[in-house]
Amino acid sequence: MTDITGWPYESGRGFNFRFTKRKLIALACIAASIAVPPLLFRSTPFLPSHIALNIAVGVSFILMALSLNVLLGYAGQISLGHGAFLGVGAFASGLLTSKPQLPVLVGLLVAAVVGALFALVLGVPALRLRGLYLAVTTIAFAFMMEESLFRWEPLTGGSAGLELPRPLAGTFAFSQHADYLAFLLVFLVGFWLFDQNITRTKIGRAFNAIRWDEKVAQGFGVPVASYKILAFVLSGALAAVAGALYGHLIGFINSESFAFKSQPNYSLLLVIIVVIGGLGSRSGVAVAALFYALLPRFLEFLQGWEMIVGAVALIDVMARHPGGIAGAVRQRAEKRGEKKARGDLSSTDDDELPKLPKLPRPAGLPERPEILTGSALLEVHDISVTFGGLKAVDEAALTVHQGQIVGLIGPNGAGKTTLFNAISGFVKPEGGSAKFLGRELMDLPPHARARLGIGRTFQQIGLTKDLSVNENFLLAQHVAADYPVPKGLLYTASAGGSERAMRKRATDAIEALGFEAFTDTPVRNLSHGQQRLVELGCVLVTAPELLLLDEPSAGMSPAAVENLGERLREIRDDLGRTVLLIEHHIPLVLDVCDYIYVLNFGKVLAHGTTEEIARQPEVIGAYFGEAVA
Amino acid sequence: MGQTLITGLATGGIYALLAVGIVLVFKGSRVLNFAQGEMGTFGLFIAFWLIERQNLPWIVGALGAIVVVAGIGFAFERIVVRNMGDAPRLSVAVATIGLLLLLFALELKIFGPSPQILPGPISGLGIKVAGFFVSPTQILALLTAIGLGIALATFLKRTDFGLGVLAASQDPGATRLVGVPLARVSAFTWALAGGVSAMAALLIEPTVGIFAAGFMTGLFVRGLAAALIGGLTSLPGAFVGGVVVGIVEAFIQQRYVQSTFPGIGSVAVMVVIVLVLLVRPQGLWGKAAV
Amino acid sequence: MSDYLLELRDVSTGFGANTVLHGCSYHVSKGEIAGVLGLNGAGKSVSLKVVAGLLPAWSGQVFFLGEDVTKMSVEERVARGMGHVPQGRQVFPDFTVEENLRLGAYTLRRRDKSRYKSVLDGLLERFPILAERRDQLAGTMSGGQQAMLAVARGLMSEPKLLVIDEPSAGLSPVAVQELFETLKVVHETGVTILLVEQNVTFSLKVADRVHIMQRGQIVYEGIVGNLDTDKVADYLGVGRLLSKSLKASAPEPVVTR
Repeated sequence: MTDITGWPYESGRGFNFRFTKRKLIALACIAASIAVPPLLFRSTPFLPSHIALNIAVGVSFILMALSLNVLLGYAGQISLGHGAFLGVGAFASGLLTSKPQLPVLVGLLVAAVVGALFALVLGVPALRLRGLYLAVTTIAFAFMMEESLFRWEPLTGGSAGLELPRPLAGTFAFSQHADYLAFLLVFLVGFWLFDQNITRTKIGRAFNAIRWDEKVAQGFGVPVASYKILAFVLSGALAAVAGALYGHLIGFINSESFAFKSQPNYSLLLVIIVVIGGLGSRSGVAVAALFYALLPRFLEFLQGWEMIVGAVALIDVMARHPGGIAGAVRQRAEKRGEKKARGDLSSTDDDELPKLPKLPRPAGLPERPEILTGSALLEVHDISVTFGGLKAVDEAALTVHQGQIVGLIGPNGAGKTTLFNAISGFVKPEGGSAKFLGRELMDLPPHARARLGIGRTFQQIGLTKDLSVNENFLLAQHVAADYPVPKGLLYTASAGGSERAMRKRATDAIEALGFEAFTDTPVRNLSHGQQRLVELGCVLVTAPELLLLDEPSAGMSPAAVENLGERLREIRDDLGRTVLLIEHHIPLVLDVCDYIYVLNFGKVLAHGTTEEIARQPEVIGAYFGEAVA
Repeated sequence: MGQTLITGLATGGIYALLAVGIVLVFKGSRVLNFAQGEMGTFGLFIAFWLIERQNLPWIVGALGAIVVVAGIGFAFERIVVRNMGDAPRLSVAVATIGLLLLLFALELKIFGPSPQILPGPISGLGIKVAGFFVSPTQILALLTAIGLGIALATFLKRTDFGLGVLAASQDPGATRLVGVPLARVSAFTWALAGGVSAMAALLIEPTVGIFAAGFMTGLFVRGLAAALIGGLTSLPGAFVGGVVVGIVEAFIQQRYVQSTFPGIGSVAVMVVIVLVLLVRPQGLWGKAAV
Repeated sequence: MSDYLLELRDVSTGFGANTVLHGCSYHVSKGEIAGVLGLNGAGKSVSLKVVAGLLPAWSGQVFFLGEDVTKMSVEERVARGMGHVPQGRQVFPDFTVEENLRLGAYTLRRRDKSRYKSVLDGLLERFPILAERRDQLAGTMSGGQQAMLAVARGLMSEPKLLVIDEPSAGLSPVAVQELFETLKVVHETGVTILLVEQNVTFSLKVADRVHIMQRGQIVYEGIVGNLDTDKVADYLGVGRLLSKSLKASAPEPVVTR
């Protein structure tokens, strides 16, 4: 995934701490010995204060880093000014708890709300900005906050600052660092579980799809704009709470605490931590956060050299492991598995195309009107698309009837994919209309068109390639995940039920394909033909009425193409679906299609039944020199 | 009014220099160089050491600083950026954060945390132009910015290598295919960015009077704002953006100098950014992005 | 080492875990127009990237002008006389026609600056459309005009071999015809051409010899005019239906050497 501003990166997922029973028990014991005593209103006996402080700082850093990870690691939105949210949260809580002496929990709650609001303000313009433009705007935002709002004396106390008290439970004040550490650990567990709820529901999958390729996300019905704002809001709220918790730990904050010019610069530090941890990996980010918080304490004896060493080490690590800790771990795991995988991959011959999954329409999808066989499913009239003076599509019109396979052929550059993009909603045509089941598509954003029952494949394979086959099948069912986001965040029973149903469908689909061995393999490790199959499977998993397939046979061997043809016929005859197909492989088109449209220079030059077109080879041959695949 | 305009133009020239450095690196390697500002600060320390400690003339110290910082840019490109090849741009950006931290740490270690004073090249009140005072450094800043702009434009458009630099930012693959040594172009771009940063620092420091580690960071953000407004891919845009930011800031600060709300200048700049990006998300001269 | 102007010997390469070329071998002789044909995904463009040096070969060798250039950089190969017309033309959109051509002459100007003017004038004479648009921004020209510019740019370095990647893609039949004329003219000046194409009729009109690639290997090689058209139709997935038109468009059979 690249965009013109040059900020492609892959998620560091794959390195996630598996909570096995033994590890859970060990962690529980450690946590208990720290947490239980203060919870019984007595201070912890054996943890020295300065060590507890250091660990508490480390835990605070983990919380901060986790918040940025949601935005940067999962959703791929580059925020280089996260220090602003930390400050906003700390000041909000501080204002309520210092003079007014409201309970710390109230301060934290308000911090979360304020953080969410600021994130909302930043998130709206972020919708229009990409890559570096977004990154620089977030820096400017943070800088502006630091120079203006954070220095405003009436609000924040300016350089005199605010004092943030420790929380009170009855008469017990968490004044010992060890006690506050216990307090923080509770929040750590909360953050961790919350983050897990994000990643194991449609929310995290939608974020990842947006990061990889927004078009693919839209194609699977993800409302990209809403989810981007959601990512900002969640991240901002979490960051504000983390900042507030940190503020209450340190006890004092002022205008310079979270400034861009201070040391440390939290905004940049968090980015370093998240990238070194490996974008998108909870565990990697946590390890990196602890490392950055604790290591300086241990290296203090180096007296100034530690900064130099640290900087050189950072440069070195980035140069050699751009994927961070999680990336390096994943690479090593992949290298070990690669020999085995290469064996598996070569043994699965592309020529043996297994069957595509035949799945019933999932519950939870909106009701669709009764569709009569043979009725006009898709009617396109007068669509024109102009790119910088060049007419890519020129008053194109076509009709696809239910139960047909319609072929759209033409040479490279004829405008076929552009026409598809106009129908899908990725490109805005001048005038014209496209009606699907009688419903005008041009009023709807792309994800809504997908929800109506239009599935789409892409020339470059429309999948999130750094996620596994299984996760792509889950992503593909986004429209069937019928629980609202808040329920997903809390992983309520209804969300859990929906998720389980989707997992079952995904497993069934993978089995039908015969790809059980690849369930957890990242899609990019599969061969082109296998990826194409996974893509077709994903498109079919929500049983859309109409499939828009963009050159599905590209890169396939002749035998595999024949099999593809059989599968397409299956889709029409057994599953009762309708297909509109862009293809270069003329024999496939002649073999499988009921009706053909010939496109060139953006215009529909000829159309007719396959027999009519086949009787005139000149139609094909003359218009573009030769029919080639 | 006129005084504010002069101040705005002079600082705008500095911001433009910073912005040019940022845009050069972005065009060449598609990366945001976080160290762009601090490279300049490092140059100031080099100049300080040469001028104040070694008692060399200002011009020698300045040239020394420019050469050293250009060398740092060159070395970083060679050792780090080149080897990161196809790595995600965000990772390379984090590596530049590492460079920023390294320079900062070196400055602290070698020179200590206290601020230093580096007098400007020419002292005195300056001349009077149409009734306003223009300090010699302001004149120098303006002249350097203009001079550099013209020199850069000439070099880029009229020499083969310069055309290669511009071509590389349009299409690096095709640039290689016509035989332009892309590696050399990259190295040159980074070295030039370094030199420009040192120039900017040398020109603004006399106005402020003192400097310390981290001196240029605030200005770096303004340089970023200027580059953003101009469109991150446009060198002339960077100049215009710099001037815009300089003038807006000067006027707002002059108008609201009594205001109790701090940092009103930054807010104003931010508002300008938002307005520009709302209308054109790719900056005034930037290429329409994806 | 190698007797041909350009030779790919047993090259295997790919991306990550994907192997695209499996022991691919083909060659181009001095003075001929060699065409490499195949389906989408067969590996044609990947093989050109290996020839250019943009993609390293995992195994096998590339010989140019008798020398083993497998380890040489792109720039070194261009300096030795390889000119390129990349896929999608890739003209520099923000440069004028003249600036594009000047950049194409980068290696020429380093060798012998004095020849630049005469080479430029010569090309502008042969391509009057470009001469008319000397100061026009390349990004504003039509696909066909850009194709012509890309070819002219590739010629500015006076190459011994011109490597052309799918020049007819996205062009109207009229523009393709013009391109065909252009290439014939170029060939008459003695430049050897290696051409990768999807458009079979076009290739057969232009090339002297064709190599057909399937799944990263050359499966058929023959002189145009003496081809087994049924086999070619099969390999290219063209279908019996259209092999008739293939036969009709192929030049008259020529007696083999």
